[in-house]
Amino acid sequence: MLPVPYLSFVAVTKNFGTLHVVETPFNLEIPRGQFVAFLGPSGCGKTTLMRMVGGLDTPTDGSILLEGAPVGGPDRRRGMVFQSYSSFPWLTVEQNVLFGMKYRTDLLPSEKRARALHYLKLVGLQDFGAAYPNRISGGMRQRVAIARTLAAGSEILLMDEPFGALDAQLREELQVELRRIQTEDTKTIIFVTHDVEEAIFLADRVIVFSPRPATIRADIDVTSILGAVRDLTTRDGQAFFNLRTKILHMLRNAHTAAA
Amino acid sequence: MMGQSVAPLARLFVFRGALSRNVRLAAGCGTALLALAIWSAAPAFGWTNPVFLPSPLDVVEALWIMVTQNGLLTDAGISIARVWGAFLLSAVMAIPIGIMMSSYRIVGSSLEPLIDFIRYLPVPALVPLSIIWFGIGEETKIFLLWLGTFFQLVLLVAEDMKRVPQEYFEIAYTLGAKPRAALTSVALRSMLPSLVDNLRITLGWCWTYLIIAEIVAADNGLGFVIWTARRYMETSQVMAGVFVIGIIGLVSDQAFRLAHRMMFRYL
Ligand SMILES: Nc1ncnc2c1ncn2[C@@H]1O[C@H](COP(=O)(O)OP(=O)(O)O)[C@@H](O)[C@H]1O
Ligand SMILES: [Mg+2]
Repeated sequence: MLPVPYLSFVAVTKNFGTLHVVETPFNLEIPRGQFVAFLGPSGCGKTTLMRMVGGLDTPTDGSILLEGAPVGGPDRRRGMVFQSYSSFPWLTVEQNVLFGMKYRTDLLPSEKRARALHYLKLVGLQDFGAAYPNRISGGMRQRVAIARTLAAGSEILLMDEPFGALDAQLREELQVELRRIQTEDTKTIIFVTHDVEEAIFLADRVIVFSPRPATIRADIDVTSILGAVRDLTTRDGQAFFNLRTKILHMLRNAHTAAA
Repeated sequence: MMGQSVAPLARLFVFRGALSRNVRLAAGCGTALLALAIWSAAPAFGWTNPVFLPSPLDVVEALWIMVTQNGLLTDAGISIARVWGAFLLSAVMAIPIGIMMSSYRIVGSSLEPLIDFIRYLPVPALVPLSIIWFGIGEETKIFLLWLGTFFQLVLLVAEDMKRVPQEYFEIAYTLGAKPRAALTSVALRSMLPSLVDNLRITLGWCWTYLIIAEIVAADNGLGFVIWTARRYMETSQVMAGVFVIGIIGLVSDQAFRLAHRMMFRYL
């Protein structure tokens, strides 16, 4: 018997009333621990597909399976990191991370605190535990959200353009950081973006989407091209540049094909 | 020489310019003092008839007599109790109902048209009806205040709840919260600052309606005191009564603002 894939989309379609977001049955398998980027023009349905994994939207048809079982409503196994409103402004950084474990009954308060500290360190915020989110930078706020989701014990991180509102330099810093965090604390990540470089730099695998209704334009194994280790020099290599050009062409063709 | 003496004045009138805190404070106090001076001068120099515009000192004297001999503080206490009674009643009803209206479409759709209609009924127009129903006891006053504030507040609360970002709920759900827990530990917390602000505004409205209620249907309270003084042309007492209401309003408003600042330092 074939092993059950970790996460799979099985013949998923989705429409909002008359708006067909995913029309042709969508199939995709994601192995455990893979960092997958959903890349495509805005409005193509990336967010919707990701939200269905999180249980925040339901497929019109087909199903999404986690270790063979249909994902139900949202729960702690699948954590979200949004672009805005990613942390609670009335809680300090540390309280935000602790909130990730608020509904866990398997941990003692002391264990929760220890875990919070551990993840604050992992994202480099150990010195900002007592600060409120409005006192820290946008990049730090996204780190808080990442730490909170990790502390919650989520196996799958669903990230919807989490760095979209940050300036270029901060963004690059966080990308390096996120890649490091993922290698240290192996998680399956679905990362939605419309930025080609971000997708290539971060992901093991990039799914390139067509404009809506969403179909897979390409499924690219980035790790076989760039290797698993990514750092600031990754972007300077010829391989990176070539891949970027190739994908940009794909997206451009996708646009003209639709028009 | 000339340029130097003109420059500071010119600096005060830079279009949309900045101004130091001390200058702003001085300007505010200066205007108030000037108004007070004109007010004092008008009856003293015979510009106005003291029967219609008594001097500030007359008003202070009237206030003193009212407090020491006429039990003004009791009337103030009665008015405060009425205002807070009606205010709390409105709040206790409006907060849960407003939240329900934004949590369940069916509740919102059912209640909104009716509330919107009642909201536009002018409170003074309902005084006769209210007297027919409740006589001139406490019920009438509480009813009028409640009528004037509940229907406004419930929509404000519904709006506050609607403005809680969907992301906050979804974060809570993906961390294992059930809807009820998301409501209490996230949504309520998120809307609290604007809720406190809306309560402050509602309390202000209560005072407006209180005076109407006490003028038409009361034998005590600040509105009654003012209205009685008017009948005897005791203008200084009328002004003293109005002054007391102003002070109470100012103090409670500032108290709310202070509480807001202390509770929501993270904003
Ligand atoms: N809840 C919803 N109701 C109606 N339409 C929606 C809803 N969510 C998304 N859409 C529409 O579905 C399409 C795909 O949206 P989305 O998945 O957010 O795209 P992307 O993330 O790729 O930019 C868009 O046209 C969007 O307006
Ligand atoms: Mg999107």
